[in-house]
Amino acid sequence: MSETRTALPSRPAPVQVSQGSTYRTLLRWQVASIGPFLPLVVIIQALLAGGIIVGFGFLIPDIDPATALFLSTGAPTVLLLTIGLVIVPQGVARARTDGTFNYMRSLPIARPLLLAAEMTVWLLIALPSVAVGVLVARLRYDLTFSFDWPVLVLAALLVTLMATAVGYAIAVSLQPMLAQLVTQVLVFFVLLFSPITFPAAQLPTWFQNLHDVLPARPGADLLRAGLASQTFEASGRDLLVLAVWCVLGVAVTLRALVRRG
Amino acid sequence: MSDVLHVTGLTRRFGAVVANDDVTLRVRPGEVVGLLGHNGAGKTTLVSQVVGLLRPDAGTIRVGGTDAVAHPAAARRHVALQPQAQAPIDGLTPRTAIELAGRVRGLSARRARAAAEELADELDIRPWLDRRALPEGRGLSGGIRRLTAFAMTVVAPTPLLVLDEPTNDIDASRRRLLWEAVRRRGDAGAGVLLVTHNVTEAERIVDELVVLDRGRVVASGSPTRLRGTQDTDLRLELQLPPDGAADVLDGPPVTVLRTVRAGRRVLLTVPAGQAAAAVTWATSLRDAGRVDGYSLAPATLEDAYLALTSPADDAAPSAATDQEPARV
Repeated sequence: MSETRTALPSRPAPVQVSQGSTYRTLLRWQVASIGPFLPLVVIIQALLAGGIIVGFGFLIPDIDPATALFLSTGAPTVLLLTIGLVIVPQGVARARTDGTFNYMRSLPIARPLLLAAEMTVWLLIALPSVAVGVLVARLRYDLTFSFDWPVLVLAALLVTLMATAVGYAIAVSLQPMLAQLVTQVLVFFVLLFSPITFPAAQLPTWFQNLHDVLPARPGADLLRAGLASQTFEASGRDLLVLAVWCVLGVAVTLRALVRRG
Repeated sequence: MSDVLHVTGLTRRFGAVVANDDVTLRVRPGEVVGLLGHNGAGKTTLVSQVVGLLRPDAGTIRVGGTDAVAHPAAARRHVALQPQAQAPIDGLTPRTAIELAGRVRGLSARRARAAAEELADELDIRPWLDRRALPEGRGLSGGIRRLTAFAMTVVAPTPLLVLDEPTNDIDASRRRLLWEAVRRRGDAGAGVLLVTHNVTEAERIVDELVVLDRGRVVASGSPTRLRGTQDTDLRLELQLPPDGAADVLDGPPVTVLRTVRAGRRVLLTVPAGQAAAAVTWATSLRDAGRVDGYSLAPATLEDAYLALTSPADDAAPSAATDQEPARV
């Protein structure tokens, strides 16, 4: 082999990286930058779980095992929805304000990978919520759960992906200030006006019908069926509603990521 | 050789404000092109269109032969941008940030690690290389963050480097290192579009200059051509008193090649042969209390730049120069 070196340096070439490699790098970037906040996020989850399971229990005098089970199996959904619909959009709104959002979008990468990496990180952060919720319920009410693992895993993944995607979509569609405001309102809606920790039958009929097409109640019922399969049953319709919201959130987000102003 | 960046007739409006008005410019491989202009001249708007963050209203952008308006994602693979905003490195050390940027830009893990080491020495940031940047600007100073962002941009050889005010917040000695690093990237074959308002420092390393004023290209060419005067010409700078009038300039006893008024400063370009006469005149003005002080120095590009971008008619100041529509 002869060495053929020219005096001129070779001209720089355009970036050629596989999507898988870019995804892994972005994932490392995300994990490293969220790293310092992780302990805080875990503490917030634990406090929220305690607040819902223990705190809501105080609202109901002489809570019976059935009500306790309903409350406890709803708590993980509240946690997942809070992370996806509140913490995620606040982070995205901040990224848009401080230039991070456009910085990442100017990199030589396929922009949908940004969403893929970010959703992966939020999955990793959010999923322990389900375990935290179950643990707190066990300690407080001494409940026994009957897990349906396939349903549980599917429901937890889908609820988290849906909440993250919708939260992301809100944050990229609205002005950052407005997005922050909307997420505050959503907390109240999820905590107090969604049949997650109480049965939908307690709501007026028209509101029940509305919740049939919103993602909160279907998500909660699906996750419930995974946690206490002997008491609650999974419904294909709920799965469909969740999936549609998931696709909607991803579509709106991808459009905003690719779009030029 | 084909251009790494070729912009023709680029126009972009924000409502009634025309941020880029029929802008045409080119960057060849190995060339450092300085893009000068006041705040709000449209520099950042131009850059945002090159990397596909904004869509032009009219005109073409070709990046490395790719149509960046029609295929922004393909064009971005030819470009590395250091934006004016700080890079997102909170939670990271400069070392990790540079390595991650290198990986995104196609370096192997081993090459990215080596590149971070080399850049630490090239930019003299080694003492901070393993210190973590924390939120709210804690952990690392603005200057070190800016140098890290620069390193993240140049970590891998890229056909086109776009640097938007890369020297903001950086101390004088490291600014010099950064300018040298920019020049080296150009000499290695990259095309560099350097957005700055630091005219005097940029002059030393650029091959070409493009001056934007209120969205339009008002001048372009080599620094020598833009200076428009002999290298031997001198600049007489007169510092007016707070309520001083420019009528001190009436009937100067020297040949004035160019006059620029910048705030309380009046810059006169005079031939070198009249240095003695200029000093005598300026001294008499100071003794009479009509100027606070004066200085005589070789004419610089800044004088030419100020002449190009100062409002032609002081009686009709343009509102557009005070607006900042170009922040993205």
